[in-house]
Amino acid sequence: MERVSENRDPTRDRMAGQAHRIDDTILIREAQHGNRAAFEELVRHYDQAVLRLALHLTGTEQDAQDVYQDAFLKAYKNIGSFRFECSFYTWIYRIVTNLCLDHLRKKNVRKEDAPVVKDGDGGEYDLLDQVPDGRAGANPERDLMRRQLGARISGALERLTPRERMVFELKHYHGLKLRTVGEILHTTEETAKNTLFRATQKLRGQLADMR
Amino acid sequence: MKCEWVRENITLQVYGELADDARHELEQHVARCADCAAELKVEREFHALLSAEREAEPSPNLLAASRMKLQEALETAEQGGFWRRLAFDPANWLRQVNFSPALASAILMVGFAGGLGISYEVFGHPPGPPATTKAPAPAEASITGIQSITQEPGSNQIDIKYNTVSTLETQGSLNDQRIQQLLLFAARNNYNSGVRMDSVDLLTKKPDVLQVRDALIYALQYDTNPGVRLKALDGLGGFVKDDVQVRDAVLQALVSDSNPGVRTEAMRLIEPVKADGSVRGVLMTLAAKDQSQYIKSQARTMLAQLPEID
Repeated sequence: MERVSENRDPTRDRMAGQAHRIDDTILIREAQHGNRAAFEELVRHYDQAVLRLALHLTGTEQDAQDVYQDAFLKAYKNIGSFRFECSFYTWIYRIVTNLCLDHLRKKNVRKEDAPVVKDGDGGEYDLLDQVPDGRAGANPERDLMRRQLGARISGALERLTPRERMVFELKHYHGLKLRTVGEILHTTEETAKNTLFRATQKLRGQLADMR
Repeated sequence: MKCEWVRENITLQVYGELADDARHELEQHVARCADCAAELKVEREFHALLSAEREAEPSPNLLAASRMKLQEALETAEQGGFWRRLAFDPANWLRQVNFSPALASAILMVGFAGGLGISYEVFGHPPGPPATTKAPAPAEASITGIQSITQEPGSNQIDIKYNTVSTLETQGSLNDQRIQQLLLFAARNNYNSGVRMDSVDLLTKKPDVLQVRDALIYALQYDTNPGVRLKALDGLGGFVKDDVQVRDAVLQALVSDSNPGVRTEAMRLIEPVKADGSVRGVLMTLAAKDQSQYIKSQARTMLAQLPEID
């Protein structure tokens, strides 16, 4: 969620970022002393990104909600052992990526069709339908091409190993630095770089005809 | 510069992950090598192709439902035992202190901790000179914890550092930063709902301050007292049109608040922005599935007033 702001002041943004980190430190300490409200505030700082990651790696709202729940419950139960050796951001991402990797490893489905998501009532809807079309009159042909592209990309991502997919997701869709990706996945930046290279080479091979 | 090295690092170049010197070398090579320049072009086009498909964001409904489910689970979850056994809990201690409601002139009663040093004699030895202290006598303050205990070798003197809590008082206007900080603290952390209500009431007079608006959003989403949540809605209502974060918080309250009065007020506040895509989506869900007949009927009425989408 972003605030509407016509003229963003970079100094103010930096200070807001610093204030955010200081705020997290206070919230973590409070949560470690049993302040549940502080933990819930901490959750609010990160939960949209966590839910987005879970939704795109699991493919269903129900599974995404389960991963979200498991991740934050695990964080709540173990926050006493958080020693500020890394940022809370890295720590919570580490928890949720491990849960998503477990999910990906158990999953044994090759999706050839359009990415379909199940809602809470068991009905299905195309994930691409959720991307709003800003224009009043959408082009049906373009919509079809976009759906096909989305389906092909989704299918190609399914063919990556869980680790390759995770590195690609975190780098390409979440914009994290590879150094951070390495910290989250308990590996080195160099390994994350090599994994990203392998993932993109595989994806290029799968999608060569679409360029 | 070998083409092989360039090919291995083109992906990192496109993602902006190359070190400055490596990036410079690569750019220099690509300027001279047609094959590598073509490869870079292909990689950039591929990157653009993958980025053309925007990731869908989780819907406000999914986020609100996930938060509610987590809140319920946290009520019965327990934290790990080690720190809770060892760490002193001043928040728990403060619940036993009687707080007075904040007055209209913004006088607040707040507790602070300070460190003190004091020497005591070893038990069993003849009494020595009176203990020296740099702080008020212990009778004037309450001890909250012991920081350290040290004894000089060969001496009967023991040094103990302990923390105390003393009550302080401050005065000021709503424009004082210090007063604002204390009000923000009280709105989020106080166990007494009356104090939280008073602080949120005062904070609604300063909603243009970002931290205040954040605190009002927090109160709306997490305060256990519906009166406090209603008061927070009062302060946020004017920002539903221009602040997306406020709008999302009000929508979440409309969808998932446990109090009908809060939901009704949230419904009233989103009326001016009912044409917004995310608001329309929530209204459609409420009109179809909400348990409350009033909310259902209001949502249907609002949707009927909107133009059809092609």
